[in-house]
Amino acid sequence: MINLYSHISFYQRCLEIYKIFSDRQVLLSKIVRLTLLLTSVVIFLLLISIPLDLQQQFILGLSSFVAVLVLRRKAWGRLEVIAMIAVSVISSFRYMYWRLTETVGFSGWLDSFFGWGLVAAEFYALCVLILGYVQTAFPLERRQDALPEKIEQWPMVDIFIPTYNEPLSIVQATVFAAQGLDWPADKFNVYVLDDGRRPEFKEFCTAAGVGYLSRDNNLHYKAGNLNSALMKTSGEYVAIFDCDHIPTRSFLQLSMGSFLRDAKLAMLQTPHFFYSPDPFERNLDTFRKVPNEGDLFYGLVQDGNDLWNAAFFCGSCAVIRREPLLEVGGIATETVTEDAHTALKLSRLGYNTAYLGIPMSAGLATESLSGHINQRIRWARGMAQIFRVDNPLLGRGLNFGQRLCYLNAMLHFFYGLPRLVFLTAPMAFLFFQAEVFQASALMVLAYALPHIFISNITNSKIQKKYRHSFWNEVYETVLAWYLVAPVVRALVTPKAGAFNVTAKGGFVGEDFYDWKIARPYAILMALNVLCVLAGVVLLVRGDVSTTTTFINLVWVFYNIFILAASMGVAHEKSQASAATSVRAVIPASLVFANGKSWACETHSFSIKGVGLTLPRPLDIALGSEVKLALFRGQSECVFPATVIGSGKSIQLEFEDLTLEQERQLTQMTFSRADNWVTTWGRGPEDRLMASLKDIFVHGLKQVVPLFFRASYGYARQVPLRWSAQLKAGSAKATGFFRIPQLNFLRKK
Amino acid sequence: MKIIAVASGKGGVGKTTLCANLGMALRNRGHEVLSVDMDPQNGLGLHFSLPINHINGMSRATLSSDDWNSAIWQSELGDLILPYGLINDDDRIIFEDKLSNEPGLLLKQLKLLNLPDDIFVILDTPPGASCYQQQALAVCHVVVLPLLADAASFSTAIKYISKIQKECSQRTDFTGHMVVVNQVDRSRQLNSDMTDLIRESTGSKYFSIIHQDQSVAEAAAYGQAVFAFDSECSGAHDIEYATEILKELIGNARVVQ
Repeated sequence: MINLYSHISFYQRCLEIYKIFSDRQVLLSKIVRLTLLLTSVVIFLLLISIPLDLQQQFILGLSSFVAVLVLRRKAWGRLEVIAMIAVSVISSFRYMYWRLTETVGFSGWLDSFFGWGLVAAEFYALCVLILGYVQTAFPLERRQDALPEKIEQWPMVDIFIPTYNEPLSIVQATVFAAQGLDWPADKFNVYVLDDGRRPEFKEFCTAAGVGYLSRDNNLHYKAGNLNSALMKTSGEYVAIFDCDHIPTRSFLQLSMGSFLRDAKLAMLQTPHFFYSPDPFERNLDTFRKVPNEGDLFYGLVQDGNDLWNAAFFCGSCAVIRREPLLEVGGIATETVTEDAHTALKLSRLGYNTAYLGIPMSAGLATESLSGHINQRIRWARGMAQIFRVDNPLLGRGLNFGQRLCYLNAMLHFFYGLPRLVFLTAPMAFLFFQAEVFQASALMVLAYALPHIFISNITNSKIQKKYRHSFWNEVYETVLAWYLVAPVVRALVTPKAGAFNVTAKGGFVGEDFYDWKIARPYAILMALNVLCVLAGVVLLVRGDVSTTTTFINLVWVFYNIFILAASMGVAHEKSQASAATSVRAVIPASLVFANGKSWACETHSFSIKGVGLTLPRPLDIALGSEVKLALFRGQSECVFPATVIGSGKSIQLEFEDLTLEQERQLTQMTFSRADNWVTTWGRGPEDRLMASLKDIFVHGLKQVVPLFFRASYGYARQVPLRWSAQLKAGSAKATGFFRIPQLNFLRKK
Repeated sequence: MKIIAVASGKGGVGKTTLCANLGMALRNRGHEVLSVDMDPQNGLGLHFSLPINHINGMSRATLSSDDWNSAIWQSELGDLILPYGLINDDDRIIFEDKLSNEPGLLLKQLKLLNLPDDIFVILDTPPGASCYQQQALAVCHVVVLPLLADAASFSTAIKYISKIQKECSQRTDFTGHMVVVNQVDRSRQLNSDMTDLIRESTGSKYFSIIHQDQSVAEAAAYGQAVFAFDSECSGAHDIEYATEILKELIGNARVVQ
């Protein structure tokens, strides 16, 4: 099969193939292609529309299911995935065709209301499923392009670090790392874009030797901030880092080559990698065990988009060519997701975009669930705005693939209402005995089960280590309620509303249950539990179809699973330290006050200190002053530090570092080129049933104690003691080390 | 026999300590090693717990026309040492005259020892130009050049490297030199800068550093190898690393019989 993974562009290959055909046999090839296309369409239409009786449909479904199970074990490059997608698409369309033609003869307004509601939600889910296949069937897996031998030919880059209200300690590390990029010193400038107009930032920038840019207003927030900086600088390229995204030193060398090879390339995006757990990971204790919400996007979706030349800008960790950016009027300001919109505009003008899947920066994930939800609301609103003001299906300049990829990026955020429908749909029958399917229960199973199972297995195969099965439901359920209103509002009045800044650097001080955030899940949970009761009553009464009741009960239990895990996410766990530690082994040596020194290595580091693995236990008083040397190849930097925890692994905290030492520290730790490559996208692969069990266990672990506490009536006041103990145990399991905060040791 | 000369143009750079530790590290890796003290200070033996009143050595043996074999001393741990020996100043001058007049003396005597083919002979030499150094540079396969991370060392380093190249490079069995910066302390700016400067200006692939570490001095005082004294100290790790580099350098040395 054709090797699509070569970093020579897919388009070039297509172009070559097209040339071969168009050369002499234009007519013939056109006829062949048209015939092929028509035949496939006819076969496809037949496959989805031929009516079968229960037994026949059951056999078809079963054989499709077996086929997919067999294909799942194959590794033929991409062919087995395409085959699975084909089976899945046929099964799902067949279901939808049958659904729309055979099951919607609703009688009465109750049946119609619930029935059509469910059909609409299912239709939405089918669209997103198909678009998802288009988007992720062939990830491009682009590699970096080499830079010219002659360093004089390397281009000039401006590095923008926009900030508004984040603390200096966070921005500092990013600035130092940016300064340490492996790029000729006379060919890049670092600028801090301070929309907070803070004097201490200006002072720091002067001392650190980087540019400080600010403006007298905050018009258009981040987009306006970047645009204002564009007017004051002149580099051929602009690299943008959110102020908490610390780049590794290799960033420019790995990303700039593509621009020199492809003169039409306007934007290159790299993954956003987070070295701290997001609220899901922290509260459910899944950090580095279950892929997080962003892994699917950066691991697969962007890579898939790239094939269609539809990789989009995500606001940070990206490089943009200045000229095309100015051509589209700078960063887009019409919507609150200025990043994606800017990329869309660049694509419309015929420029290329790229996605390079190498993690070359690391940032802090949102600290609390409420912060996380706020951020997603903004993304959803922004996407809905773009859908209205600059719809990718309409207008000039985009190819078909780009339109589909952008369409899916937007439709994706409309999942709020459909998700709520799925979570409440069994109520229609169990409470009101509404018939949302005008068909026998067995017939529904024969059509729906192949659709559901096969699409789940196919996605599990495609998404492997980037999204584990059923977690999608958890991620969506947590956000669904909160997205509905903003999305609808943005669709109706796309120009209204302000941009909300996502809070960073916050800190969950102690365990608590965020009942305010969890209210929708609790209500949905209560409804589903009532559904179980109603189901039992129906079964006992026995005056409606037992099979239908039973199917609905299975559905309800599935909802309860997902809701339990979602409720668990609202159980905010304390972060032991304000400075998140990164697990990393760095060669080091520890120099004692008596002049002796030990060779050792770190097991973790943060912006405040390190944890060291020592060759043998060390008896040293807490508070002792030592020096720590960190190595990177031939370079070595020494930092004064204080011992804040001892034993076989000791913890050190840095004290009173000079600006130069802070810089060295960042460059010795966060900006090491090999930092994140070994962590990102290396998680465990999906196993369907194990994943289901995971969700069940995680949900149960979080939710059962909630009922206990609620029954004692002190849920709000008392933080959970036991969970702190649990956490101490689990910290070991994740290998995630947190430096204990021992403030009393700090010298005044 | 593979001959390693530890030599430098400047004194007090830690030649003898380095010489002893490299020898012990090579033995630790299973090689046979003979450590030869060519410095009238006769200090190398102390690193191997040679009794302070042990008077035998190459100087006395040569003057009394004895075989050098008679002067080789074996430590409790099995290290083979050929001390310089204790002699008075007049005899020393006679010995040095002999060395100056007979350029092949060292090689001749070493061959007479009938050493195994794969033994490493490490020569500790006194600082600066001398008949000892001349003899050592005339026979060695590699030169280990210890330096301190200071301005004085830096200024002599370049000169000394060209001297090595002048005196040794013509010999086909000479493989090259290795630079070791001793007592590196990165928390001191000058020391750190000098270390980098020396690395860059010597441009040698064979380069290693040994950090300032009290354990190195303490080990010497106890007559122990630094890695035996404290296997986890940075000094020990640095010596191990330097030994690896040295082995790499010497790996392709041709053996003289």
